[in-house]
Amino acid sequence: MAAAASGTFFDFFYQLYAYREYLRQSVKRDLTTKYKRSALGYLWTMLHPLGMMLVLTVVLSHIVKLQMRDFAVFFLSGLIAWNYFNSTVMMSLHSIRSNARLFGQIAVPRYIFIISIAASNLFNYFVALAPLCLVTLFVGRDLHASALLWPLMVLPLVFVTVGVALVLAVSNVFFEDTYHLVEVGMNALYFLLPVLYGRDLLPPWLVKWLVLNPLFCQIEFVRGIFYEGSLPSLPVYILNLSASGLVLMFGLWVFRRSEDKFLYFV
Amino acid sequence: MKSRALTQESVDSMRAAPDRLAIEIRNVTVSYRSYKQRPTSLKESFLKFLRHGFKRSYETFDALSDVTLQVPRGTVFGLIGSNGCGKSTLLKVLAGVLKPSSGMVQVNGTIASLIELGAGFDPELNAIENIFLNGALHKKTKREMMARVPQILKFAELEEFAHTPVKYYSSGMYARLGFAVAVDVDPEILLVDEILAVGDERFQAKCEGVFEELIRKGKTIILVSHSMDLIAGKASQAALIERGRLVYSGDPIRAVEMYRDGSYKSALS
Repeated sequence: MAAAASGTFFDFFYQLYAYREYLRQSVKRDLTTKYKRSALGYLWTMLHPLGMMLVLTVVLSHIVKLQMRDFAVFFLSGLIAWNYFNSTVMMSLHSIRSNARLFGQIAVPRYIFIISIAASNLFNYFVALAPLCLVTLFVGRDLHASALLWPLMVLPLVFVTVGVALVLAVSNVFFEDTYHLVEVGMNALYFLLPVLYGRDLLPPWLVKWLVLNPLFCQIEFVRGIFYEGSLPSLPVYILNLSASGLVLMFGLWVFRRSEDKFLYFV
Repeated sequence: MKSRALTQESVDSMRAAPDRLAIEIRNVTVSYRSYKQRPTSLKESFLKFLRHGFKRSYETFDALSDVTLQVPRGTVFGLIGSNGCGKSTLLKVLAGVLKPSSGMVQVNGTIASLIELGAGFDPELNAIENIFLNGALHKKTKREMMARVPQILKFAELEEFAHTPVKYYSSGMYARLGFAVAVDVDPEILLVDEILAVGDERFQAKCEGVFEELIRKGKTIILVSHSMDLIAGKASQAALIERGRLVYSGDPIRAVEMYRDGSYKSALS
């Protein structure tokens, strides 16, 4: 299995390169058609997280009186990372079914549609960094130079997201209620991740277990560079990147094993 | 000495044989599972497991069984058979989108399928954007496609509507664009499923012209049709398929005769 998995792993990056033009165009397509009918158009990519942040910040820091410095920045930096994961996974669930006609016509690697969803959302995430920076400056905090390392820090998150999306998309082909389970699971996961809270609010014994979640540190990384201005140590980063790579490999392995059966089911 | 040379020659010709073949499939079987009641949810699967354990709840159904077929390069190869006999499954296997349950498929050369026209189109995009998107699915770069857009639009006679999203197209316009895009990739092998009836009479004539041109260029065309006149008239070879089995392969006139006669069916059952 290990050899086969690493084979598909490298082939995966080769296919990304081979289909780069398709990915480029489908990302462009997603960005232009998604907000076609809305008056504010693409601005929603920025307004949506801002609105969420506003609601939560008002509720938590003024009504519940949660003590945390500049909760808005803290929350927003975690929220847009979470949104990336959440929307990529949810959108991927139906990607195989909705592209089934295309699969029956052209021989393309079937995960290419999931990659394209992940890429569009990554672009949206990138755009949502603009309001994050604005809010940071608005509340009077410094923007840290570490923020420039975002492309590196987001990489483990991307690996895990694509890996999970691949597995769940396969599951949704065979079991249609995967969608509903995932919807519920996402709510639970949201509270298991350091989006609303930081690890210092939790008892240390709990943190020890929570960090095993392959999204926990990944979200802390992208928050750290904006909120605390901190970078993980190199060994921690490498450990997380490798673990995330394993999640992606596992996703590819599951996908490869079942993709030949898709046409028999959809 | 002489006989030995002859033998050598025949060995060589056998070795060279794969090059003369556009497509070779050997012992190809495609088994679908036909479930009486396939569990479509986790809950159902779990309940089924509790009740029946790992007992199979499906029967396998062979859409193709043990088909061996050779298609020489440059032929128009007809595929005939009654509805549900496995022709479309065979086309999907040849197009590389359906992996057979067992057997070997070898396709020498690029392949394009005209099975479902415009399957890759995004209804929200206009003709030009769809041409680029479709090209990208065939790993063509934007620059390569740039040069081809005018001729595709011209062939599809859609220059006027190039900037209209294709969801507003009539079905004829949609099919015309699909056809123009599909033949543009300049394939060596073309899979055609009953689509010579695209658009109006004038456009049909144009499509036929394209086919004649492709045949002249020595391309291989696999033609699925229920029009026996078309098979008898156009095909240089034909295969008759019934219930997933290859009944006959060879002379198209003979294949059509057998199909019309229907006596082969009794031999199968």
